[in-house]
Amino acid sequence: MMENQAREKDLVLQVKDLKINIKTDDGILTPVRGVNFEIGKGETLGLVGESGCGKSLTSKAILGINAKNCKAEGEILFDAENLGMTDLLKLKPRGEEIRSIRGKQISMIFQEPMVAFSPMYTIGNQINEATLLHITRDKKKAKEISLGVMKKVGIANAEKRYDQYPHEFSGGMLQRALIAMALVCNPKLLIADEPTTALDVTIQAQILELMKELQKDFGMSILFITHDLGTVARMCDRVAVMYLGKIVETAPAVEIFKNPQHPYTRGLIGSVHKIGTKGQDKLFSIEGTVPVAMNLPKRCGFYDRCDKRIEGVCDVQEPELVDSGDNHRVACFACTGCPQAEKCGAEGGKA
Amino acid sequence: MSEPKQILDVQHIHMRFHSKGVCVRAVTDVSFTVNEGETIGIVGESGCGKTTLGRCIVRAYEPSEGDVYYTAADGERVNFVKIDKKTMKKYRKEIQMIFQDPYSSLDPRMTVYDIIKEPLVANFPKMPKAEMEQRIMDIAAKVGLNTSYLKRYPHAFSGGQRQRIGIARALVLNPRVIVCDESVSALDVSIQAQVINLLHDLQRDLKLTYLFISHDLSVVEYISDRVAVMYLGRIVEYAPTKTLFSHPMHPYTESLLSAVPVADPTVQTERIPLEGEIPNPANPPTGCYFHTRCRFCTEQCKQCAPEYKELEPGHFVACHRAEELKLKGFDYE
Repeated sequence: MMENQAREKDLVLQVKDLKINIKTDDGILTPVRGVNFEIGKGETLGLVGESGCGKSLTSKAILGINAKNCKAEGEILFDAENLGMTDLLKLKPRGEEIRSIRGKQISMIFQEPMVAFSPMYTIGNQINEATLLHITRDKKKAKEISLGVMKKVGIANAEKRYDQYPHEFSGGMLQRALIAMALVCNPKLLIADEPTTALDVTIQAQILELMKELQKDFGMSILFITHDLGTVARMCDRVAVMYLGKIVETAPAVEIFKNPQHPYTRGLIGSVHKIGTKGQDKLFSIEGTVPVAMNLPKRCGFYDRCDKRIEGVCDVQEPELVDSGDNHRVACFACTGCPQAEKCGAEGGKA
Repeated sequence: MSEPKQILDVQHIHMRFHSKGVCVRAVTDVSFTVNEGETIGIVGESGCGKTTLGRCIVRAYEPSEGDVYYTAADGERVNFVKIDKKTMKKYRKEIQMIFQDPYSSLDPRMTVYDIIKEPLVANFPKMPKAEMEQRIMDIAAKVGLNTSYLKRYPHAFSGGQRQRIGIARALVLNPRVIVCDESVSALDVSIQAQVINLLHDLQRDLKLTYLFISHDLSVVEYISDRVAVMYLGRIVEYAPTKTLFSHPMHPYTESLLSAVPVADPTVQTERIPLEGEIPNPANPPTGCYFHTRCRFCTEQCKQCAPEYKELEPGHFVACHRAEELKLKGFDYE
């Protein structure tokens, strides 16, 4: 609880009831359907979910870099320098204010470093872009700053690497360069969208350690988006599990692995094989696939795939996040008991 | 398994690619054997030659040197590398491949039915239509595809469903060996579990032999009976899965294992860092290929390449110091 109060004081980011609609030829998609979370200073929040659950759209909405046909509603409050708590969604997507935040106070690391860099410019040139835009107009100074960050993220021989093109870098080195680019302005919040998915395990471990170290040095908060529970366990303080555009469970990392409650979270954790338990049962698998987020009926999004569903309860209304103690919040009638207690009294609360 | 019957015997395979006067050694002197009904995991970082090795075995590439002996269903032992293409066709049916990316390995302009039919048409052009249809229906049902959807195109299917199509296509010829090249890497965890369970069930029912190529060590540990670790085109260690994961004997295996993220925040694994990066296979280091990144490197390692030999029954290692080193692996319950 202490932790909770401390967090209230210096929140860096607060997302309130974020909804995103996308107009398509077939109708309106609702990939994000009311997401709430907050990130405190120096905290790492893991946003976990499978592809298509809306985690990347959520992160891009924070920076206002979603495609034009994406309409975002709700509030994204960010503790901006000299603006105070600002609703990023209210800012003009190309306006002065958001541009002073984007890349400077909030920056992002993308999934595939090979795609994130332009092949036409040198690495140094691309890192310098951020430096020149946000820190100094002096090219000499900018280069110095950029080189300093490149060294900091562990790029050996930075002076030589500065003038090289992306194709001369390996995947791991390129990801380091991308991190350097994100950190050059000393951001308050770093959004890392699957930063290690495209990398080998050994390189992945290096990059994760690097990010942890840099977080200590720079004191920034990290929104860590991934589908890999192993990296979540290694990196995050708190975890929010997303399914079909909603957060279905959120808790401190240790708690969520020890005591997962939502059937989806349990399924996710159960379907990862733990080394050292060979020869045991079949892998747990969640039957079926994620439904398309269009014209969703008013019921729990996980209803079709859930093994704990309660007929007459879960299929008539959507559960909201409910406190279940220890900073743990779950959106599931089967876990927390449902409003119509008499109908599911037997199953409720047990799960 | 009472009497393990050898099905594949790979001996001293080399694969060199030449481009712009540079010779890239993708696979160097790889030897191992596979028994019938077994799953062999092949792990390593990207660029270590695991895919090339898989392709050499099915003869999608012509290996530069070496032999791949295959024991056919009728007991005949043939060398895939030496026989001509026509004879090879006879055996192609028995060894099939499942690819990594379910999005790019299926032709978007063919219906699923046609995709699964294609290998049948290619290998049994005289098969009656009705029999073909029967086989396609059977196999589709077996891999869990809804048979009423077979007239649809691949784009109408999700990633997991597409991978099932790829599996059906490989299985329709009743193969004995399947090379799975990163077959579950592109899938989400919950779907991954579905596909792995499916592969497991199929192996049990059809007595399949798998060569399972992957960089995901926990998946490999789950599915494999034996595991080969590759580094820079060579197998550095080959052992039964439990032995390899609990008592690795090669320093590279040890650091690879220590880097695996464990989905439990209370477990603090001590990572053994690997300095630097994989050397360029066009210009490999002298001596032991791993010496540039090895923390146990000696003068001997820099000078001469270690022999790949059986140190314990079934445990092959290529390291000068394998016997003296006490390396750490995972604890088994």
